Amino acid sequence: MSLFGTTSGFGTSGTSMFGSTTTDNHNPMKDIEVTSSPDDSIGCLSFSPPTLPGNFLIAGSWANDVRCWEVQDSGQTIPKAQQMHTGPVLDVCWSDDGSKVFTASCDKTAKMWDLSSNQAIQIAQHDAPVKTIHWIKAPNYSCVMTGSWDKTLKFWDTRSSNPMMVLQLPERCYCADVIYPMAVVATAERGLIVYQLENQPSEFRRIESPLKHQHRCVAIFKDKQNKPTGFALGSIEGRVAIHYINPPNPAKDNFTFKCHRSNGTNTSAPQDIYAVNGIAFHPVHGTLATVGSDGRFSFWDKDARTKLKTSEQLDQPISACCFNHNGNIFAYASSYDWSKGHEFYNPQKKNYIFLRNAAEELKPRNKK
Amino acid sequence: MAICQFFLQGRCRFGDRCWNEHPGARGAGGGRQQPQQQLSGNNRRGWNTTSQRYSNVIQPSSFSKSAPWGGSRDQEKPSFGSFDSGASTNRNEGFGLPENPFASLSPEEQKDEKKLLEGIVKDMEVWESSGQWIFSVYSPVKKKPNISGFTDISPEELRLEYHNFLTSNNLQSYVNSVQRLINQWRNRVNELKSLNISTKVALLSDVKDRVNQAAPAFGFGSSQAATFVSPGFPVNNSSNDNAQNFSFKTNSGFATASSGSPAVLGSSPAFGAAASVSSAISTSAPAFGFGKPEITSAASFSFKSPADSSFGSPGFSGLTTSLATGPISAPVAPAFGGGSSVAGSGSPGSHSHTAFSKPSNDTFGNSSISTSFSAPSSIIATDNVLFTPRDKLTVQELEQFQSKKFTLGKIPLKPPPLELLNI
Repeated sequence: MSLFGTTSGFGTSGTSMFGSTTTDNHNPMKDIEVTSSPDDSIGCLSFSPPTLPGNFLIAGSWANDVRCWEVQDSGQTIPKAQQMHTGPVLDVCWSDDGSKVFTASCDKTAKMWDLSSNQAIQIAQHDAPVKTIHWIKAPNYSCVMTGSWDKTLKFWDTRSSNPMMVLQLPERCYCADVIYPMAVVATAERGLIVYQLENQPSEFRRIESPLKHQHRCVAIFKDKQNKPTGFALGSIEGRVAIHYINPPNPAKDNFTFKCHRSNGTNTSAPQDIYAVNGIAFHPVHGTLATVGSDGRFSFWDKDARTKLKTSEQLDQPISACCFNHNGNIFAYASSYDWSKGHEFYNPQKKNYIFLRNAAEELKPRNKK
Repeated sequence: MAICQFFLQGRCRFGDRCWNEHPGARGAGGGRQQPQQQLSGNNRRGWNTTSQRYSNVIQPSSFSKSAPWGGSRDQEKPSFGSFDSGASTNRNEGFGLPENPFASLSPEEQKDEKKLLEGIVKDMEVWESSGQWIFSVYSPVKKKPNISGFTDISPEELRLEYHNFLTSNNLQSYVNSVQRLINQWRNRVNELKSLNISTKVALLSDVKDRVNQAAPAFGFGSSQAATFVSPGFPVNNSSNDNAQNFSFKTNSGFATASSGSPAVLGSSPAFGAAASVSSAISTSAPAFGFGKPEITSAASFSFKSPADSSFGSPGFSGLTTSLATGPISAPVAPAFGGGSSVAGSGSPGSHSHTAFSKPSNDTFGNSSISTSFSAPSSIIATDNVLFTPRDKLTVQELEQFQSKKFTLGKIPLKPPPLELLNI
């Protein structure tokens, strides 16, 4: 077990250097801050699956590291371990039994991190940075799915260095999500493909994008019978599309909504439009959370088509989010997502991960 | 009473209860919105209206909706009415033509296109003012293909580039490349906002024909060394080229009336006569507006025929007449087969659009078209492509050309022979 090398202060709100008493806005929601947060932007967050007792949070950052914390019920976070890549880590995921963590990085590889032994081995190789990584557990096979900017989707049995399968994508993979037996991949140039994973992964349908701009994040949601039935797709234009795979009435069931914009009601001044950096569905309620470059998170009920809550604005964009397995904890990372280019990048600025109690706020609104 | 703007767009929340006037008294749009309004005390901004708006664009709209668009489109109106029957019934009935490239645009489609173009302009304005991520592709209506000229770069990719250049101590080149990309984006946005003819044509062809741009190998990347291959923009898209130098690349659908693209002409002889005629004429009157003289010649031009047509493949007829009124914009696919005759009914005056389908806006007049006019000579040169030599026509076709009117089902696909044209 290695503790994290650098120490980081606890950053409680306090007076600024100039003596004014305004609190700095890094945690306006007064959520729990995770200790020893990464030193550079956090690209991905993932909580442990239900098979593991307790809650463990994994975060990958642009400082090339992946960190693991144990989150206790009291809210205390204990740093547990860390692994390094040779490039920024873009995505992380857990295996279904909670024993391994898979990490995807800009160094064109993906690694499998065995938590008990704290060893990480490379399990995948691409020709370009690996943007997404997901664990697939099917009745007759298990594998890791990696999506990369080299326009391929590869499936890896962790024991072999050759992929089990390689699927071509029309363009660079930007985001993906998997809930067996469905997988969705959103690519550059507004590409959108759904795969079905039974027996072996195969392309199910290419969908014309319901959004007009670049795809940024995608998350699959389930129906009342706990089967994946559609997905939410976020773009850089402050908009999320809810899309069902086989809806009874596509024109009515599929819709888009605007989010992460300023000046909502006032149409005279031009709105500021922010990218949707992450979407996560509450595992129990089915409501969703979106986080954006504006530094806010919002909770939505897609069935009632209403917004449940919007947070206060943080001083940095929120770059990633996720729920724990029972939906009690909502974690979101406050760090720079490059939405305004390199000029606004401040390497000295602290990056945070916040934990919020999500049991109450995400209850669906009752339809009238 | 004031006219309800929301109702005109089909999304009035109040429906019958609305205090403003609903012309046509169709409260259909109103009812739908209400349930959502009552939910959630919070802001309902943004939910769902967008999808409705899009659906309005995609589905053909009934004529009653044409009212709000009256403004600048007056000259087309009457023709809409008169045309429509001709055009739509014949549209794609084929006459045995496997693909009627002229899929004549009915007035509804024309309106859609106009909306499309307006939507694009608005989107560009929003994009610029909103501070959203600029390295993104864009499509005017969801489910349509992307418009060329925009590259997709995700923030992570850009950031990775930054890190790479940082390690090689070459930040300046990163900054330069980014600046270049930004400039390209800005140029493209301005182009789209100003919507001159060539961009319109290119846009419409993009949207219609799913021109896929070559994936912008953006050359970021693997090599450290600085030079960014500038992505996207010059990556050739024939449509882009059109924007820049109006070169007649084959862009299906390009065929701007004036001279269409000779390339296009070349490939599909059909375009034929009309084009040459117009181009000849147009040299004198670059402003697309194609003043009087054209009209007369045009009238006679249309392949003999005549007066009415019920002629479906519209396409061309429009060329001729109505040119004066201008809404010509990008006519559609070439292949117009002999057809041209004056589709739609009667008076030449009404013909205007058809062929031209995609009417676009009056800005059409100003033109970059003037630049293109270099072509005409080349067009005429390719006579054998524009006109079929008499001996190549079948008897039936010859007969058709010689008759006063084309008969349905027998309309020749090749252009008429030069000799038969009275200009």
